[in-house]
Amino acid sequence: MAINGYGGRILRVDLTERAFQIEPTDLDWMKSVIGGRAANSKRLLEELDFSCDPLGPENMLIMGIGPLTGTLLPASAYYTVTAKSPLTGILGDSAAGGHFAAEMKLTGFDQIIITGAFESLSYLLISTDGVEFVECPHLINAPIIETTCAIRKAHEDTAIQVAAIGPAGEHCVSYSTIVSSGNRVNGRTGMGAVMGSKKLKAIAVRGWQSAKVADPPLLLSEVRALEKIIMSHPEYGKRHHMGTTMLMQDLNSIGILPTNHFQEGMCPYVERISGEALAEKYKVKNKSCFNCNVHCSRYYICGQHEAEGPEFETLCSFTSRVGNDDLAFALKMNAVLNQMGLDSISTGEVIGWIMECQEKGILTPEDMGGLSLTWGDTDAIGDLVEKIAYRQGIGDLLAEGAWRVSQRFSGKARELVMQVKGLDIICGDPRGIKAYGLTYAISSRGADHLRAEPYFELTNRKKEALARFGTVKAADRLSEEGKAPLVTYSEKIALLCDSVTMCKNIGLCMDVLNFEHAATLLTAATGIPYTPSQLETAMEQCIDRDHTINTRFGVTRDEDTLPARFLTEPLTRGPTRGSTVSIRKMVDEYYALHHWE
Amino acid sequence: MSRCTGCRRCETACAFFRTGTVSRHLARITVVNLYESGIDAPVVCVQCAERYCLVCPEDALTIGSLGQVIYSATACTLCGLCEQRCPIGAIKLTEHTLIICDLCGGKPRCVEACTEGALTHRPSGDPVSLEKYTEMSKGKNPDQKRKIFVSEQGASLRTRWRDGH
Repeated sequence: MAINGYGGRILRVDLTERAFQIEPTDLDWMKSVIGGRAANSKRLLEELDFSCDPLGPENMLIMGIGPLTGTLLPASAYYTVTAKSPLTGILGDSAAGGHFAAEMKLTGFDQIIITGAFESLSYLLISTDGVEFVECPHLINAPIIETTCAIRKAHEDTAIQVAAIGPAGEHCVSYSTIVSSGNRVNGRTGMGAVMGSKKLKAIAVRGWQSAKVADPPLLLSEVRALEKIIMSHPEYGKRHHMGTTMLMQDLNSIGILPTNHFQEGMCPYVERISGEALAEKYKVKNKSCFNCNVHCSRYYICGQHEAEGPEFETLCSFTSRVGNDDLAFALKMNAVLNQMGLDSISTGEVIGWIMECQEKGILTPEDMGGLSLTWGDTDAIGDLVEKIAYRQGIGDLLAEGAWRVSQRFSGKARELVMQVKGLDIICGDPRGIKAYGLTYAISSRGADHLRAEPYFELTNRKKEALARFGTVKAADRLSEEGKAPLVTYSEKIALLCDSVTMCKNIGLCMDVLNFEHAATLLTAATGIPYTPSQLETAMEQCIDRDHTINTRFGVTRDEDTLPARFLTEPLTRGPTRGSTVSIRKMVDEYYALHHWE
Repeated sequence: MSRCTGCRRCETACAFFRTGTVSRHLARITVVNLYESGIDAPVVCVQCAERYCLVCPEDALTIGSLGQVIYSATACTLCGLCEQRCPIGAIKLTEHTLIICDLCGGKPRCVEACTEGALTHRPSGDPVSLEKYTEMSKGKNPDQKRKIFVSEQGASLRTRWRDGH
């Protein structure tokens, strides 16, 4: 039964046997990892056969939430999905907001562990009582929202939350996604393909328990304090208006907005594709994840296309990154990618990489089965996305992801894939944000910012930088000094966010969550007296564990680096002109801080 | 409805202040998120003109001075007639009790929790008629009634969105 903070039960589902098992949550086991992403990693390390085929039945798909998920805590809306990644072959995980996590909490399951594979496409309906296995041949190739509505209709219950895959996931595209709440995406590392390989169309949850906490008055007072900080935050208005799409203009203004596949850091037509333009022309209202008071998401209508979003990464991936100045096309792509279940960053990288390689004559149309791509060719992009989702024609090859496809071609073509450890780099040029560069290099799921999100380096808070990280340079985006301490701090807070399952835009970018707040929140939720230093140690251990996992996967320190472009080719224009990244130095410093070999 | 982002803060605040926990089924206000149309909206007792719930054979439901529904747990036999009659699914019947909004004694927590101004409490004014929903919600479960109510109201909002562009 429910224990304070936790649902109190772990669910194991074997799809091959169509059977499930419920076991009590081991509090001693859980205490040191709190929940969410850290708990998933621990489970993976303890139980995964590391040599398994990521698309085989023995790969594990783990969904995890934490003791504060679905409580009064603002934006306590996240859940993490973890597996061996079919895109990178190493640790894979991805978190999403929306409403799935809060409903999963009410089922009483802190973690759902799925192994095996169905024989034919089916979904799971997981409730407080257990699991129903439902075959769904009628949902083959169904887009996300259609799937969600069909499941809600079949069970006559709109409170059911559904995490589903689209056609891309069913066709095991290496960078396919899981999507819940219509448009909230577990985007990175191909978790959708893991579901697809198991012929698992969707996981639906519906619960009748309550999110109980040990000390409601203490939680309430701490939540009130945090809500005040959020509502009076200097970025509140901007985030409410544009969400992360505010970054289009912000990044361009400092010369790091990826343009034509990172060849430039400034986009001449940024105003036409900006968050401001989107809000003014197409936004019809704000949207929100569970219990959030920022409401940073948006709903838009643009011609025949309407959807929630887009977030910055999708907007940039389908505008400046691929040389497209047509905002309406990017909005169409947001809706299409979310419904097909494709990761916008990795899809954008495949497209941008081919464009640059073909522009430079490194790849020919013949290399790509007749496909010819030029900057901003929206018709060709639209066509290609469809082909990738269904693995048709050249889409079958490109569904493997840019890095793997590049292995068939010349060293020059391989060098131009903007990736680390097989995962495609996000939209932020590391030459002008050095702590982010370090984060891409060391991130345990491959090139990624969310493992640390060292937003602090963009805030220019020099005095604070000196006090917190030993040098004013930590707040200087172009400096490499002080970035290792900044990243080792931020990655702990990032993991803390993923473990209490709070949104990182609030917890980390808005600098709302720290060890003190987290200790109070967790004590109030669980009744276990956490101290800030205890939490810090726990997070350090979890980061060490991720490092161990990837060592077991065969990752070496040499792979903690960035594509050559960022190390040797300076940008030629704008406020980041002339800058490159001395990655080795930062990585060495980072390893020393972790006491890793 | 045009301001509702679907965050469900009203729902969590309601459940928390009544029970110290958070749960949809313990909240007196329930948000419907319709991903197929982008419409989100809470459903809660609107103190309707018709007062369908007063059908109660045990008189377990009465009207208070604020117009709110007052529930007597001792009189109630959990027969479910009021839940059946409410055309918008604003009454929830659980194994042990009935859950319906009582306006928190005049200071509704849901209104306080909404940071978007999507919820207001107007003590005066003409009561709302729910007559048009009785036919379309007949025989449906409370969840489906809420969905019908929100979809119906959402249709005109969607027209406004389309016209605005």
